[in-house]
Amino acid sequence: MKKILLTYLCFLWLLAGCFEKANFAVSEGGKSGSVTRFTTYQGYMYVLNLNEVQTYSLVNPSKPLLVHTLSTDYGLETINIYDNTIFLGSTTSLYILDITDPAAPALLSKTDRLFELSRRCDPVVVKENYAYSTIKTIENICGSISSISALIVYDISDKTQPIVLNTYDLEIPNGLGYKDNYLFICDEGSDYLEVFDISDPAQLVKTSLGVPILDPIDLIIDGNRMFVATKTDFQIFDVSDMNNIRRIGKIDR
Amino acid sequence: MLKKLRYFYIAWVLLFYSCDKTPLEFYDGMGKRPKYIALDELKNIKSLPPEDITASGTIFLKNNLFFILEQRKGIHVYDISDSLNTVNLVFLNIPAITDFTVSGKYLYADSWTDLVTIDISDLQKIKEVGRSENVLNPVLYPLLYDGIFECVDASKGAVIDWEDAQLIDAKCITSN
Repeated sequence: MKKILLTYLCFLWLLAGCFEKANFAVSEGGKSGSVTRFTTYQGYMYVLNLNEVQTYSLVNPSKPLLVHTLSTDYGLETINIYDNTIFLGSTTSLYILDITDPAAPALLSKTDRLFELSRRCDPVVVKENYAYSTIKTIENICGSISSISALIVYDISDKTQPIVLNTYDLEIPNGLGYKDNYLFICDEGSDYLEVFDISDPAQLVKTSLGVPILDPIDLIIDGNRMFVATKTDFQIFDVSDMNNIRRIGKIDR
Repeated sequence: MLKKLRYFYIAWVLLFYSCDKTPLEFYDGMGKRPKYIALDELKNIKSLPPEDITASGTIFLKNNLFFILEQRKGIHVYDISDSLNTVNLVFLNIPAITDFTVSGKYLYADSWTDLVTIDISDLQKIKEVGRSENVLNPVLYPLLYDGIFECVDASKGAVIDWEDAQLIDAKCITSN
């Protein structure tokens, strides 16, 4: 069976060669925000499907081929890749997967549930040995209007055993991203783009460098530009001088 | 049949997930009702004139193009080469979409239970070039909402929106 599959793959690859230049590097030409369930990496695409991580081969880029499925608990919401490693945010846990073999992600660790309540949207960004994740609980139908919303910092020096270093309260955090030693967080609850100094990952400092912005959802930092998406538009900021974060553009209407 | 069972199972899992004591009951009152499109409509993938953003989602930056999802409808594409003068280029109509990524000249997106590949080399004339059917489980509840809603009936088509409605005997409720 495996041989047939391999033969099939080879055939697809040959076929692809007829139509496309098999250049995988091209595919890594863009970047997404922190809140997404789709990503590509070295000729593969990963798709989060409720309780599984699907791996598609893009050998023939116009016809993704499902080559691997990894089961998890329900509630997968975000995927981010850093240093040959997949970080998944789910409604209950942080998952870390090894993709030394990108065709077959392997579970390295899964954190325990931090809170009893189910949460929503847990984007994760990673810098060196630390992972930064926002979590939020919006009003609960069971009557408990608990708002456990926070930024969580994990020490991931040992990817098989992430450790919670610290948590910082936020209102309704969404997407996040960093530039150098500054972490930007979209806080929809306070209509504010928060900026934390992460020079010391064990003890972040909330700065006053942030900017007010209505309903921020997610962001992408690209060089000295930062794109912040809100519910109904997006805005562009110049972040070359952190002491003077300037709005330089918004969308054409 | 199998798929229906699975949906049912997911609904149950979600129901009991956070609300240990939620009894099985029917709900009356204001809630959300799914709006459906026929499954054939999912293939209506095409470029349309630019539109305003009303309910954003996933964002993606590729060179000078900024992609921003419009929940269950499609993707807005902006030219951001000049920050001061961004240009709203086109709206990519992709019914029932909730997430996507871009790689090379292809855009990959969910399309209800399908995964579609779209050639976007000509943004003004995109075209579907591949579709893997029945590989994804779409979200069957209204996002960013707490309350009762009419359960999704997959036989009616694909859900593209949720509207406010007076519900009687609704059997679904969010479990955030």
